[in-house]
Amino acid sequence: ACLKENWNANAEAAELQRLIAVEQQKAQFQAQVHNFTDVCWDKCMDKPSSKLDSRTETCLVSCLERFIDTTLTITNRFTQMVQKGAH
Amino acid sequence: PCLTFISIALSLFVTTDPQLQQFIEIESQKQRFQQLVHQMTEVCWEKCMDKPGPKLDSRTEVCFVNCVERFIDTSQFILNRLEQTQRSRGTFSETMTD
Repeated sequence: ACLKENWNANAEAAELQRLIAVEQQKAQFQAQVHNFTDVCWDKCMDKPSSKLDSRTETCLVSCLERFIDTTLTITNRFTQMVQKGAH
Repeated sequence: PCLTFISIALSLFVTTDPQLQQFIEIESQKQRFQQLVHQMTEVCWEKCMDKPGPKLDSRTEVCFVNCVERFIDTSQFILNRLEQTQRSRGTFSETMTD
């Protein structure tokens, strides 16, 4: 009975790994959305009104894109610094 | 039947017991709702409350209503935008999740 058990354990481990990876990806994406929403809400929303006007929407788009640009710039800069420091 | 540790772990993801499924779903919903209320209170307090007075006036109340609705709009807007960006420029997600 428990010889079959070992085969099942491997298949189950693989399946569990897959399910965990899927959930992790979902959680990561959601965390990203929440983070962007928080950051850009602060930058772009003055006093909330009865609808999302186009000026605010434009600001939100800019906010997203500039935040991503900033992250890339800082990542590159840090990478450079680390590489220089390694000599 | 022997239960492996992994079988037990798997059962956290997959249950065929409808009552347990429903219970988990309801409890998750309750938790998400509470988290949302807490987050909204914090966010909209910042945007709408000037100097707290002796009562919650109607101007502040209106602001709270707008605030919650606009925050949901903003979330949805950003979600749509990110999905759009991911579809056209898939590499950014690798940078952001490192």
